[in-house]
Amino acid sequence: MLLVLSEEHKEHLSFLPQVDAAVVGEFGRIALEFLRRGTSPKIYEGAARKLGVPVEMVQHGVEGLMFLMTESSKHMISEVDFLDSVLVLGFSEELNQILLQLYLQHHVHIRSILSQLPSNVPAYHNLEWRLDVQLASRAVRQQVVPMLMLRLLLSGVGDGVCARRGKVLQTDPSTLLHIISTLEAALAAMKTSHARRIFRNIK
Amino acid sequence: MRFRFCGDLDCPDWVLAEISTLAKISSVKMKLLCAQVLKDLLGEGIDYDKVTKLTADAKFESGDVKATVAVLSFIFSSAAKHDVDSESLSSELQQLGLPKEHTTGLCKSYEDKHSALQGKLRETSLRLGRLESVSWRIDYTLSSSELREVNEPLIQLKLQAQGAESGSSETTVVSVSADKFRVLLAELKQAQARMNALQ
Repeated sequence: MLLVLSEEHKEHLSFLPQVDAAVVGEFGRIALEFLRRGTSPKIYEGAARKLGVPVEMVQHGVEGLMFLMTESSKHMISEVDFLDSVLVLGFSEELNQILLQLYLQHHVHIRSILSQLPSNVPAYHNLEWRLDVQLASRAVRQQVVPMLMLRLLLSGVGDGVCARRGKVLQTDPSTLLHIISTLEAALAAMKTSHARRIFRNIK
Repeated sequence: MRFRFCGDLDCPDWVLAEISTLAKISSVKMKLLCAQVLKDLLGEGIDYDKVTKLTADAKFESGDVKATVAVLSFIFSSAAKHDVDSESLSSELQQLGLPKEHTTGLCKSYEDKHSALQGKLRETSLRLGRLESVSWRIDYTLSSSELREVNEPLIQLKLQAQGAESGSSETTVVSVSADKFRVLLAELKQAQARMNALQ
C-alpha cells in the first residue's frame, strides 16, 4: 500500500534536498534517537546554527522524517511501496536510496518501540498462597475453619514489567474448587473445534 | 508418569528436555554447579562467572547455562517443597534419564542442605503484614480543656508493621486508656496461652 503524505508533511520534508546527503544521514540518525529517547531542542539549535537555516526548518525536517519512518513501519510497507510513496516528494534518486536504507535498517526496532505504546491491562505475574486453619477467635474458641489466603501479583499498567502490584484475597475451600472448575472449563474452551478453526486462520 | 518430586504430577516438558543437557557435563562439575545453585536458593547469591567457567568445557551457550541453572533450581526447590527423601529423588531422576554419577552427586548435595532449604522456603512463605516493632509510652493526663482535674494514665502504642498489600513499612499510633488496655492485655494473654498449647 502507498503512504499518502499530507501537504504540510511534504512541505516539511522539502527541506531535505537542500542539504547534503551526509546531513540527511545525520538527520536520520537524530530522528531515530528521538524516537528512542524523546526530543531535545538543543540538537535542533546546534544543527540550525551549523547549516545557517532557521531552527523551525530543521525541526520540521527531522520531525517529518520521524513521522515518515513511523508511518512506514506501522503499515509494514514493502521497499517498492516505500520508494513509490517517497517518489511523490520529487527527491533525487540518491536521497530516495538513503531514506530507503534508513527504513530497512530500523523498521523492526521502530515496530518494537511502537508496540510498547498502548497501555495494557494488568497481566498475571505470580500467585502465592497459604492454607491456614482458624482455631479460635476472641469471641469463639474451639473452631476449625480452613481458609486459603492468596496474593495475586500483577505486572503494572504501563510501568513495564518491573512494577508489581499485589492483591490479597481470601477464600474458603468450596469457593476454591469452584474457581478451579471454572478456570478448567475456560482452558477446555480453547480446545473446541470453533476455537481451533480460528487459530488455524490467524497467521 | 507421576513423580513425587513434582508433587505427584507429570514432570514438566522443559525439565525432561534439559536433563539431557545436564548429562553433558562431567559429574564433578555437576556437583560444583549444584553447590552454586543451592547457594542461590538459600539467598547467598550466585556467582555467574564460576557457573560459566564450569560449563565452558561442555561448550554451553548462554541459553544452555540459564537452562541448566533453572532445571537444577526447579529440582531442588520442588523436592524440598514436597519433602522428598534423597533415595526417592535419586530413583526418580534416574528414571528421567540422568546418569547415575550425576544423580548421586545431586542427591548428596540435596541431602546436606535439605533442612536449610526447607527453613528458607518456610521463611519466604506468604505472610501478610509482619509486625516489626512495638514501642510504648505512658503519659499521665493532669488536666484538659473539658475538665480541670483529669488525673488519668494513658498509654501510647506505636506499632510498626509491613502493610498487607503494599509490603512497605506502615506505622500505626494508638492511644489506649488504662481500662481498655487491661482488656487488651487479658485477651492477648489468652491468645498466647492457646498458641503455647499448640506447640
